[in-house]
Amino acid sequence: MSISQAVEAAGYGSRSEFRRGVASCAPVLLGTIPYALVLGAQAAQKGLSTLELSMMTGLNFAGGSEFAATALAPFLRDLPRRKAFPALFFLCDESWALGLADAKQRAAADITPVFSPRYYMGAALVMYLTWASFTTLGALLGPMLGHVETYGFDMAFPAVFLVLMRGMWKSVAAARPWLVSLVVAALVHLFIPGAWYVAAGAVSGPLAGWLMAGDA
Amino acid sequence: MATLVTIVLMAGVTYLTRIGGYVMLRNRVLSARATATMEAAPGCVLISVIAPAFVSRNPADLLALAITFIAATRLSMLPTVLIGVAAAGLLRHFMG
Repeated sequence: MSISQAVEAAGYGSRSEFRRGVASCAPVLLGTIPYALVLGAQAAQKGLSTLELSMMTGLNFAGGSEFAATALAPFLRDLPRRKAFPALFFLCDESWALGLADAKQRAAADITPVFSPRYYMGAALVMYLTWASFTTLGALLGPMLGHVETYGFDMAFPAVFLVLMRGMWKSVAAARPWLVSLVVAALVHLFIPGAWYVAAGAVSGPLAGWLMAGDA
Repeated sequence: MATLVTIVLMAGVTYLTRIGGYVMLRNRVLSARATATMEAAPGCVLISVIAPAFVSRNPADLLALAITFIAATRLSMLPTVLIGVAAAGLLRHFMG
């Protein structure tokens, strides 16, 4: 089903937009839930109390979405500030990715407004509640869980992200910055410990795109 | 107590950086070059986050990623995720 069909099928009512956002999370949760459980269990082992962990995951619900917020800004332009600020609080990699992919598809199908706040809030709230509750659950159940990686659930993230990227695909030329990001992020990941690879990839790709656009 | 304060401070800083980009960009009119760069940015962030998977030392992981990649180019979200998770789980089990 295409995006315009989906929007039409759901009707233009705000409640169904919310529901569309909630529904779009389902595949993503397959990866999020095991991951949240593991993170909760690990944090508990490191001596963080359950209260501290809940605060941590409840408030610092991000992990790289600082870079992502910038990319979402053009689509949020039509939104009044009092709505945009709370929306950004609930931002995370996954809800950002879903919200952005949806906005791009709507733009391509000439649906206005391009950014659907209720779709986004539906997706973001489900992600947020799942994340906060399952990390807490992980901390409580910690010792009973084994390594979730062995079952392959972590492959859900590359799967989700690759499908979202296919949705953003325009042309080989337009995707060249992606390749730069991939190579730079992979190299940084191999040679520099920590999570610097996300920043390195997120900065180098658009920078290369900027420079390449100058040649054309 | 110190941990709690740190966590709340971290939350504040994280949130500020998040709204920072939005506040700076919301009322700007961007050039064609800047627009093209901005449009490439989301994909750049996505691929950067999953970049470690592309340089995994485990052959089973790489093969599973290749299968997931092919699935992602043809199928929608849910089947791709299911194929990716199943491929990773099975290949790791049988390839060690």
